[in-house]
Amino acid sequence: MSALDQVLSLMAEYVERTGFPLPVPKGFQYRWAEPLGLPRRGRVYLYTGALYQLAPYVEALVEQLERVEERPGAGIVLRLARAVSRVVDLSKIAVRPDPARVEQVERVLRSVAGLLRAAGVEYAYLYEDDLYSGILLYDMGLDEAFERHARRVYARLRERGAEKVITVDPHTTRALRQVYPEYVPGFDLEVVSYLEVLDEALGAGRLRPSASLGLRAVIHDPCVYARFLGIVEQPRRLLRAAGVELAEPPRSRRMTYCCGGPAEAVLPALARRIAETRMGELAGVGDTVVTLCPICLVNLGRAARGRARVVDAAELLARAFGAG
Amino acid sequence: MPAAGLRERVLEEAGRCAYCGFCEAACPTLRHGPHRGYGPRGRVEIARRLLEGLSKPTGEAVASLFTCLLCGACRVKCPLGVDVPLVVRGARSLYLAGVLGGRVGARPRLRG
Repeated sequence: MSALDQVLSLMAEYVERTGFPLPVPKGFQYRWAEPLGLPRRGRVYLYTGALYQLAPYVEALVEQLERVEERPGAGIVLRLARAVSRVVDLSKIAVRPDPARVEQVERVLRSVAGLLRAAGVEYAYLYEDDLYSGILLYDMGLDEAFERHARRVYARLRERGAEKVITVDPHTTRALRQVYPEYVPGFDLEVVSYLEVLDEALGAGRLRPSASLGLRAVIHDPCVYARFLGIVEQPRRLLRAAGVELAEPPRSRRMTYCCGGPAEAVLPALARRIAETRMGELAGVGDTVVTLCPICLVNLGRAARGRARVVDAAELLARAFGAG
Repeated sequence: MPAAGLRERVLEEAGRCAYCGFCEAACPTLRHGPHRGYGPRGRVEIARRLLEGLSKPTGEAVASLFTCLLCGACRVKCPLGVDVPLVVRGARSLYLAGVLGGRVGARPRLRG
């Protein structure tokens, strides 16, 4: 088996055994919600798909890979595969995320939860059933593993009585809205992004800002929102209502430029170069960059190196709409 | 196994490519890769040849397919609207399922 295949198999095996694509502590995906006391049962659920929560662990793993990559000799994937194959118990691979990053993504999720409440949306949270969507397996072409996982996730959502889910990131939204219906027989869930929910509430007057942020920020559209889901104007309307003066980078909306994140598992140096290109473009337009995806948040944040502050839209919105 | 009909769907989509290359300027990975396989036109050509059985998977072909970001920038530039992410993802799936021949060692790398 080739080195790339081994990494892919490892990913699939982790999802099969633990539900997540890399080693994470039990309960890591709902820790953010513990202080909030959100209801456990309902028909409308906040489904994060754990992507924001996974991002700090992915970042830490990629940094480990980069340290290996900098050493002379064999290519990264080969070296990783060799390192991994020496470890008999996969759960012994330790990934230690940056605590500040963990806190940041948990703050983003609490912001989303608060915003939905501020908009008068009634919803419950899944806690231990807030499972990873498996989108990375799908993207890598691991269809069989993806299908098994997607069916398990859907079964769990139905057991909880879900009829509608509110998602928080582009990849999970795409997975449930566009991919699950092809792989999960009888899939029957309404899937909406929190940005769509909030934008609708804003238009209907159910969501009103209590403060104007009075700041200028450059917006970075995630590829999946802009080109696969057509979610482009919703975040702009919300941010403007929050008192953010939006600046557009040279490549924006449908023509947005990737943050490089999707290459990080295969070739971290490639991901870094692309993030560098995009960050240069964004920092040339403003010193605050607003993103809408955990992968963009981490990748651009890492590439910023003091040139700009990279923040998630949810955090800004929560401050303006009194949901902080 | 990949979904029924995936091979046909990918092949049909790849077959619509006119090889004009308008997509290449939009691709974030092409300029960092060692050859044109790291861009959309190259990836579509590789996928088509593999699916038609004209080539067997090589390390370079597999690295080309797996370094794609699936960002879809190329699809916006394509005059024919070829769904390159569908072609690349589908080719990955068929390759991993062993439908295109045996698995090979791939070493994704940067130019230079």
